[in-house]
Amino acid sequence: MALPNVPRASPDALLALANREGRGRLKIFLGAAPGVGKTYAMLLAGKTAQEDGPGVVVGLVETHGRRETDELLQGFEILPRLPVLHRGKMIQEFDIDAALKRHPRLIIVDEYAHSNPPGSRHPKRWQDIEELLSAGIDVWTTLNIQHLESLNDVVQRISRVRVRETVPDTVFDKADELVLVDLPPDELLKRLAEGKVYVQDTAARAVDNFFRPNNLVALRELALRRAASRIDSDLLERMQSGGVEGPWAAGERILVCIGPDDTSPMVVRHAKRLAESIGAPWLAVTVERPFKQLRDAERRKVEEHLRLAESLGADEVKTLLGSDLVQELLRYAKFENITQIVVGRSRGGWLAEALGRSLPHQLVRCAEDIAIHVVTVPEPKRSPSRLRLVLPSSLRQRGLHPLHFLWSAAGVVCAIAVGRLMTALVSLPNVSMIFLLAVLFAAVRFGIWPAVFTSFLAFLGYNFFFIEPFYTLTVARPHELLALFIFLGFAVLFSAIAGRIREQAQIAVTRAQATRRLFEFARHLSSLAEPQMVAEGAVAEVQRSLGAPAILLLPRDDDLAVAAAWPPEDELDTASMTAARWAFERDEPAGLGTGTLPNVPWYFFPLRASHGCVGVIGIADRFASHAGDGTKLDSEVRTLFETLAELTATALERSRLAREIAAAKTATDTERVRNTFLASISHDFRTPLASILGAATSLIYFGSKLSDASRQDLLGQVKDEAEQLDNMVRNLLAMTRVEAGALEMRPDWVDLSEAFDRVVALAKRRGAAQTFETIVAPGMPFVPVDPSLLDQALTNIVGNAVRYAGSNARITLEASCDDDEVLLSVMDDGPGIAPDMLATVFEKFARGRGPGGDGGEGAGLGLAIAKGIVDAHGGSITAESPPAGSPAADGHGTRIVIRLPLREKIS
Amino acid sequence: MTRATRVLVVDDEHAIHRFLKPALEVNDYEVLSAGTAAEGLKRIAADAPDVVVLDLGLPDMDGKDVIARVRQWSDVPIIVLSARDREAEKIAALDFGADDFVNKPFGMGELMARLRTALRHRMQRKGETPVVNIDGLVIDVARRRVTWEGTEVSLSPKEFELLAFLARHSGRVVTHKQILTAVWGPAHEHDTQYLRVYIGQLRQKIEPKPADPRFILTEPGIGYRLLDAA
Repeated sequence: MALPNVPRASPDALLALANREGRGRLKIFLGAAPGVGKTYAMLLAGKTAQEDGPGVVVGLVETHGRRETDELLQGFEILPRLPVLHRGKMIQEFDIDAALKRHPRLIIVDEYAHSNPPGSRHPKRWQDIEELLSAGIDVWTTLNIQHLESLNDVVQRISRVRVRETVPDTVFDKADELVLVDLPPDELLKRLAEGKVYVQDTAARAVDNFFRPNNLVALRELALRRAASRIDSDLLERMQSGGVEGPWAAGERILVCIGPDDTSPMVVRHAKRLAESIGAPWLAVTVERPFKQLRDAERRKVEEHLRLAESLGADEVKTLLGSDLVQELLRYAKFENITQIVVGRSRGGWLAEALGRSLPHQLVRCAEDIAIHVVTVPEPKRSPSRLRLVLPSSLRQRGLHPLHFLWSAAGVVCAIAVGRLMTALVSLPNVSMIFLLAVLFAAVRFGIWPAVFTSFLAFLGYNFFFIEPFYTLTVARPHELLALFIFLGFAVLFSAIAGRIREQAQIAVTRAQATRRLFEFARHLSSLAEPQMVAEGAVAEVQRSLGAPAILLLPRDDDLAVAAAWPPEDELDTASMTAARWAFERDEPAGLGTGTLPNVPWYFFPLRASHGCVGVIGIADRFASHAGDGTKLDSEVRTLFETLAELTATALERSRLAREIAAAKTATDTERVRNTFLASISHDFRTPLASILGAATSLIYFGSKLSDASRQDLLGQVKDEAEQLDNMVRNLLAMTRVEAGALEMRPDWVDLSEAFDRVVALAKRRGAAQTFETIVAPGMPFVPVDPSLLDQALTNIVGNAVRYAGSNARITLEASCDDDEVLLSVMDDGPGIAPDMLATVFEKFARGRGPGGDGGEGAGLGLAIAKGIVDAHGGSITAESPPAGSPAADGHGTRIVIRLPLREKIS
Repeated sequence: MTRATRVLVVDDEHAIHRFLKPALEVNDYEVLSAGTAAEGLKRIAADAPDVVVLDLGLPDMDGKDVIARVRQWSDVPIIVLSARDREAEKIAALDFGADDFVNKPFGMGELMARLRTALRHRMQRKGETPVVNIDGLVIDVARRRVTWEGTEVSLSPKEFELLAFLARHSGRVVTHKQILTAVWGPAHEHDTQYLRVYIGQLRQKIEPKPADPRFILTEPGIGYRLLDAA
C-alpha cells in the first residue's frame, strides 16, 4: 500500500517553535504614534490576565499623570523602581534584577524602545526584556512604529523628526503576539489638543511637525501594514509548522550590496522593506578586494552596515572575497539563485559614472535574468572627513615625517652633484636617470608622498641645473619642456607604484609578524602544564600584543576568581565582576563595547572550549574610542584579542585534559598494582593451602593404607606449609608496618652464622633444590639487630634467589665486616636481573619476569620488605647483576648486598 | 593388567609432588614426577604414562601449549590442575584437548575420582559402547533411543544429538565451544544461547527435577558434564 501523501511540517518552522520552548512570550502593543492609547490598552488587557491567576506584575509603566491610566494601575503589583543618577538628576529606572528575582508569570514593561541611562546593565530596554524572556517570563510592552529600525529613515522622511531610539526588526519579529492599538488621526489630534498626549521633552516645533495630519496618516498606514504583514507571516509559519501546503514565496531572493559609504544603511533598509513586501528572503554581502585595502574607518563602517543588515533580519550576511566587484557579486548571486539585487547609486565616483563604469551600470550590463534596484539616496554633503578619503592611507596612518622629506631633498641634492660631476667628465645624453634614482630611493625608503615631493624637487633641479639656459627655471627649447614634463609624470607614476609596493610589503611584514606572534603564543601556551601558568602566560601575552591591561578569570568554588592579570591585579570592582560573570554564564562577550554593561572598563570575552565556557578573559579600555552611541573596541584589536582568547581557551582545555589523564593514569596504576597484588597474594596463599588440603585429605582417605613414614611426611608437610602461610601473613603485616613506619625493633646480639643456617634450613624445607654455601669471615662479631626481622629479610632474599636462579644454581651467603660496617650478601649464579629491572627490584610489587609459570610469581613484596627492614636498621641494600668483582661462570648472576652500621662490637 | 597404572604429575611446586606421590602410590598408581614442561613432555614420550596430571602454570611453557603438543601424537588422558580464578585458561585447556580439570586447592578424593573417570574413558574409547546407562537413563546411540526407567523419552533430532555428544563424554566436562562445534557446526561456536535453550529442554525431558539437575550438570562459565555412567 502506498503511503498517503502526508504534508510534512517545514523543519525551519518547527525549529523556530522549538527555540521558543522555555522562553517567555513577548506581546507588543504597537501604535502609530504617541498618544494612541497603547499603555491604556496594555493595562486593560493586564486586568483580564489578572483574572486568569496571580503572577501579573507591572515592571514599569509611565502614566504621565493621565488619570484613566493611573486608575487602571490600581490593583496591580508594581515593582519598585531603581533610582539612578544621570547627568546630575535622579531618575527612576526599571529594575531588571528585581524583576528577575520576583520572577512573575507576566510582567508589564512600558516603552520597548527606551534607552537606559549609562551604567545600566544593558544600553537598551529591549535587551532587558530579552533577558526577562530568556528567564522564562512573559513580557508585555509597548512600541511606536517609528522606533522600528527598518522604518527609521522612512519615518524620518515623513515626519522630519530623527528618532534615535530604535528596536532591531529581529527582536520585533520574534514577538509572539502583536496587538495593534489604532486611533484615527483626527481623534489623536483631538486628544493632543486636550493635552492628553504626553510627548517626551521634544521641542515644540518638532511636536508640531510630527503631529501633522498627513504625518499621522502615513504613520498609521505604516503601522497597519506592518501589523498586516506580521499577520501574514504568522499565518504562513503556522501553515508550515502544521504541514499545510501554503502559498510559498514565489522564489524571489534579494541581494543587497554593502559598502563603506554612508548611503549603505539606507540601501539596506530599502532592501529589507522590499523583501518584506514580497515575502522574499534577503541576503547582504560586501566584497573585499585584495588590491583595494580599506582603511580602518572604512572597514569599521562596513562592519557596522553588515551588523545593521543582521539586526534587520537579513537571512545571510556575508563578506565575499574577489578581485572584481561586479563579477564576484554576480557569481554569488547566481550561486544563491538571486532574482533581485539592490545597490546604492553612488558607488564609483563621478568619473566612473560618466564612463558607465559605476557599479549599477556594470551590474545592469553584465547581469542576466536579475532585476537591479538602484536606490537613489541623496548624496550626503561632503564633510572634511570625506575629503580625507581621497588621500592614500599611508599619509595618515604612518604620518609624514619632516625628516623623510629632508632626506628626500638630500637625495635630489646628491643627484644634482652626481649629475654635474658626470656631465663634467663625460657627455651624458640624459641626466634625468640620476634624478629618477633619487625618486626611487625616496619611494622605497619613505613611501609615496616623500617620493612625489622628490619628483617635483627633481623636476625643478633638473630644469635649473641641466636645461639651458642653466640656472634659471625657464626652458629655451620646446622639446626639452616636453621632456621635462614627461619626466615629471614618469617620476610621479614611479613614486606611486614604488610607494604602493612599499606599503604592501609593510602590510605583509606586519601580518607575518602578527601570525608569528600568534604562533609563538600558541606554542608558548602549549608548553605550559598548569591552568594557572596558562592564565599567567595568556594575560602577559595579551598585554604585550595589544598594549592594554589584561585579566583572566577562572571558575573557583562555584564562582569566578581572578586567576591572573597583567599588570597584576587581585580583584575587580563589583560592576566588572558582574560583567565577567555574565560573560561566563551566558557564554557571550560582555562589558565595554557590548550590549551588556557597556560602562564597565573591561571587555570580557568567554573562553570557549569543547565542554563549554572554561573562563573569561578581559582587556581594559585603552583601545576604546568614543564613537556613535556607545564605546566600541577597535575591530582589529577585537579580532586579535578574540583569537588570543581562543588560543588561551584551547590551552586551558588541554591542560585540564592533561590533568585528568594524569589522574586517570594514577587511578589505573593504583588499580593495576592492587590487582597484581591480589592476584599474587591469592596465588601465594593457594599453593600452601593446596598442599595442606591435599596432604590432609590423603591422610583422611588413605591414612590406614599409608606407611608410617609417608604419614609422618604428610603431617610434616601440613606443618611446613602452615608455617609457610604464617610466614606470608607475617610478611604482609611487616610490609604494612614498614609502610606505616611502625616497624617494631627489638635488637639483640645476633650470631650471623647461626642466622644463615636457619635461613638455609628453611629454604631447603620449602623444597629449594639449589646448592647452598655459607661463608662467614673469621672473627665476625655479633651484630646488634632484631633477630626475627633479620631472618625475615634474609629469608626473603634467599627465597628470591631460589625462585629466580633456577634449580641448578648455587646460592652463596656471605658475611664480612670492617671497622664500622657489616656486609651481608646473598649471591646466585642464575640468569640475573635485567638491567632495566635492576632499579626497581626493591619497589613494592616489582616482580621478576623470567619464568612465566606459577612459581615465578610472588607478591613482589619480598625484597621490598627486606629493604624496609634494612632501612629500619639504618643500613642500606643494593642489588648487583652481574655481581661486581666476581666473574660468574656464564656472566650472569645476582648479588644482593646489605650494609649494616656497626657502632659497638662484641666478639 | 601387567603393570600398575602410571600417573605422570607435572608441577613446578615441590609441595604438590610431596603429598601427591604417597597418596597416589597408596592407591596402586605408579607415580612419575616432572618439574617443568620440557621434562614432562619428555616423560610422556619416553615412559608412556596412562594419565597425566598437569599444572597449567609451569615456568618454562604455557600449559595449553603442552596439551597441544601432546595431542599431536598422543591421546593420553590429561587432567589439568588450575586455580579457580583462571576460567579462560581452563576453557582453553579443555578446547586444546585436556580431558578434565581440578581446581586448586583440591581434596584427594576428588582427584582420585577424576583419575578413575579419565582412565575408564580411555578404556571405552578402545571399544566404543553404543549404549550408555546412567542410573536408569539409557541412551542408545546407535538406535537413537532414550529411555528413562523403561519409558521412552521423545527427543527432537537436535536434542538427541546433544545428549548423545554428552553421553560420549559422560563424566567429563565438555566446553560450550566443543558442544556447539560438534552439534551445531563450527559456524556456531559462540552461540551459547542455543545451547542454553536446548539444555533447558533436555532437562525438562530427562531430569526428574529440572530445577535441580541430576544428570546434566553445569560447570559455570565452562560447559556441561553428563553424570558418569556407573
